Amino acid sequence: MIKRKNEAILTGPTLLWLILFFVVPSLAMVVISFRPASTYGGVGTGWTLDAWRALGNPNYPIILWRTVWLSLVTTVICLALALPIAFVLGRMQGKWRAILLMIVIVPFWTNFVIRVAAWRILLHPEGMLRQGLVSLGLIGPDTLLLYNEGAVLMVMVYTYLPFAILPLYAAAERFDYSLLEAARDLGASGLTAVMRVFIPGISRGLLTAMALVLIPALGSYVIPDLVGGPGDEMIGNKIAQRTLGDRNLPQAATLSVALLLITLIPLIVVFYLNRRDRTHPA
Amino acid sequence: MKSSRLPVIVFALVVVFLYVPILFLVVNSFNEARFSSTWAGFTLKWYAALFDPQNRDIWEATQRSLLIAISSSAVSMVLGTLSACALHWYRTRLQRLNYGLIYLPIVIPDLLMGISLLLFFVALGVTLGTVTILIAHITFCSSFVTVVVLGRLQGFDESVIAAARDLGATRWVAIRRVILPLLAPGIVAGGLLAFTLSVDDYVITFFVTGPGSTTLPLKIYSMVKHSRELPLINAISTIFLVITFLIVWWSQKLNQDQTTKSN
Amino acid sequence: MKYLSLLFLSVFLLTSCGEKKPELHLYTWDDYLNPDLITAFEEKHGCRLIIDIFDSNEAMLAKLKAGATGYDVLVPSSYMVKILAQEKMIIELDHSKLPNLSHVDDKYLANLALDKTMKHSVPYMLAPTGIAWVGDRVENVEPTWAMFDRADLRGRMTLLNDSRETIGAALKFLGHSLNTTDEAQITEAKNIVIGWKRNIAKFESDQYDGGLASVEFFLCHAYAGDAFQAQEDNEAIEFLVPQEGTSIACDDLVISATAPNPELAYAFINFMTEPANAAVNMEYIYYLAPNKTAYYLVSPEFKEIDALFLDDATLAKCEMIDDLGPANALYNKAWDEIRATQ
Repeated sequence: MIKRKNEAILTGPTLLWLILFFVVPSLAMVVISFRPASTYGGVGTGWTLDAWRALGNPNYPIILWRTVWLSLVTTVICLALALPIAFVLGRMQGKWRAILLMIVIVPFWTNFVIRVAAWRILLHPEGMLRQGLVSLGLIGPDTLLLYNEGAVLMVMVYTYLPFAILPLYAAAERFDYSLLEAARDLGASGLTAVMRVFIPGISRGLLTAMALVLIPALGSYVIPDLVGGPGDEMIGNKIAQRTLGDRNLPQAATLSVALLLITLIPLIVVFYLNRRDRTHPA
Repeated sequence: MKSSRLPVIVFALVVVFLYVPILFLVVNSFNEARFSSTWAGFTLKWYAALFDPQNRDIWEATQRSLLIAISSSAVSMVLGTLSACALHWYRTRLQRLNYGLIYLPIVIPDLLMGISLLLFFVALGVTLGTVTILIAHITFCSSFVTVVVLGRLQGFDESVIAAARDLGATRWVAIRRVILPLLAPGIVAGGLLAFTLSVDDYVITFFVTGPGSTTLPLKIYSMVKHSRELPLINAISTIFLVITFLIVWWSQKLNQDQTTKSN
Repeated sequence: MKYLSLLFLSVFLLTSCGEKKPELHLYTWDDYLNPDLITAFEEKHGCRLIIDIFDSNEAMLAKLKAGATGYDVLVPSSYMVKILAQEKMIIELDHSKLPNLSHVDDKYLANLALDKTMKHSVPYMLAPTGIAWVGDRVENVEPTWAMFDRADLRGRMTLLNDSRETIGAALKFLGHSLNTTDEAQITEAKNIVIGWKRNIAKFESDQYDGGLASVEFFLCHAYAGDAFQAQEDNEAIEFLVPQEGTSIACDDLVISATAPNPELAYAFINFMTEPANAAVNMEYIYYLAPNKTAYYLVSPEFKEIDALFLDDATLAKCEMIDDLGPANALYNKAWDEIRATQ
């Protein structure tokens, strides 16, 4: 019904915009990684591999590992918390489901920075939370709740939880809960039913949730900056430091490319799993 | 279902976890103490301080954020709808490229987008400011709108278009009076999503902003990092929460009115 | 459709609520200008003063290099002024437009200043860096940088998130110059900081004053003015300059080469060097404006602040951080290693 020319009209504007403001800047980033840095923060002329050699910095592997590790743990915890929520919401109907969904989502309409700042105050050494825990004997008087990996992890989970909840809920909504009944009638225990019927049934939602948490988590830097200690830097912090602190744009670019490559791995995994899913429907 | 209570318990606990900082913010916006870790009495002074002329930059930042959000979601709605239609109706190689390209801004970490745009603007010698922020926001918002509208298109009944054509509608009439109205909820949903993302964006905006073009998230971050007026943030958040609640409640009411009207 | 038009209308109303007055864009440190002076300047010149904040000279330079061209007046530290002048990012000042320059302290210009003839910059505020602590939570405070070795304060201290200041503190502790380019000395200092790092909660250049006031931290590497401002919130806070000497920061007023409104910029600098204004500013932000006429206008209590009005003996051991050109890379490398070591 609609011809080739119309395809161009429909595709053109967005494609051109994205090429201009997404692809080209990304290429610019790669190009800058091959240039020398001028002393006071500009980009010099000529080509060099200096910035790439700097990736061999012995301090980077730790930071890399910490970034990947924290992001993976965050993803696992987010999924673990989001599954029961999606499960409960998915089998509800009508008005109550909408209300509960709202209740779950509304906290995330507060500004992201404010939420992190709120956690900082909550975890304050002189604050009621910590004093309460100390007086209950749950933590030692010298244990601090802030500026350590635990704080970073908790705030990351808090921040990325909605990105896990929404896709899982969307998948759970379309799931046929009577299948679980059937499984139980066939003798499966509650847990088995969930593990072998529910979870595979929402596998695409699970993959999406995983991607939507893991990938942004890898690029976090505000959270470690605000609630992390000096030893909790992630790649994002290093990139920000190179850009704004050391003014070494080429090194910032190489680190960014490195981060990009790391992010592509889960992306490709999810992409292949998705395609396999489509050809082998559950 | 006679299943365990476990999921419900976890649900309740998670909701508590989600609301602890929120309630903390709201309660502390009435706290006399400057440092919210202790309670020093009830007061409305932080709300009053928000209207003090010295704090007018908060309102300017809010204004700018809203302006940018509305503009970028408007443009994104157009770009997103166009590309969603293209992706849905065509299955050429071009569309495969389009598909990949559109999904990238969604999945790339904010930090990378921010830095690459900054480097791009630097290389071109473009002055950083509201325009660069707008460009950045449109770039990532369009992708989100595309995905939402695409989802709506996937449930689309093509036979409606054929029916309209059979009844003599030209292509443009078909688009205007059949397709767009049916897509409208998806487009609006995409636009709302774009609006939310734009208003809340910190990282990308931080890298591409210029002098005097502070947005609300930037202002808040700066207040968190520097200011001795931290409770102002509690007051602002509470106000925004209330506004959000009101908007949601109002739109729910409208939805209900529409369904009762059509019944 | 109706909601859309309502929305657009309200946005339109919001945006048309501001009149278009001439604007002065100031790029400066946080908490560095008395709000009353802002109002006074705006009224005097019928303009709007718009302030953007940076938290380190390097961040400011990075922002400027990245194309942020709309600033009129910048307030960098003296060593950064040198760099900006070299990079032709600031203009040479026309002293005929700045009659109040006669009030600037000549002793400061002769002895400490890097830009002695005020060719590119006019001194704004001086302060030493030192140690601030919460009096009733820390015992046996000694006036030495070695306080950061105190294990009993572990997790409740901060160091400045500034490579030159922090490595400089270690250099001073070791008895070296904080502008040294001797790699061995820098490495020695680096190892000291790595030792200190185990005792701190984080590297922090902005929020430690709030942290001290709320007793999140017990002891911080601090700029004098921040410490005294925090003292207003928590009387227990005290400040000292370590006996090994410290860095004296001086921040200067400069006019950007791309300033949209240079005339207003000159007016601002002249306004700030007006002795009455300098005095009022000093007393509010607790730094020292090197303005000899203003010294007579401040209150006696302010004059008694030792940390600001340093005696000659301590002054002799203090230095101003200078730009080291390519040698900066040595400090950057050391700082990187400090941040990375566990």
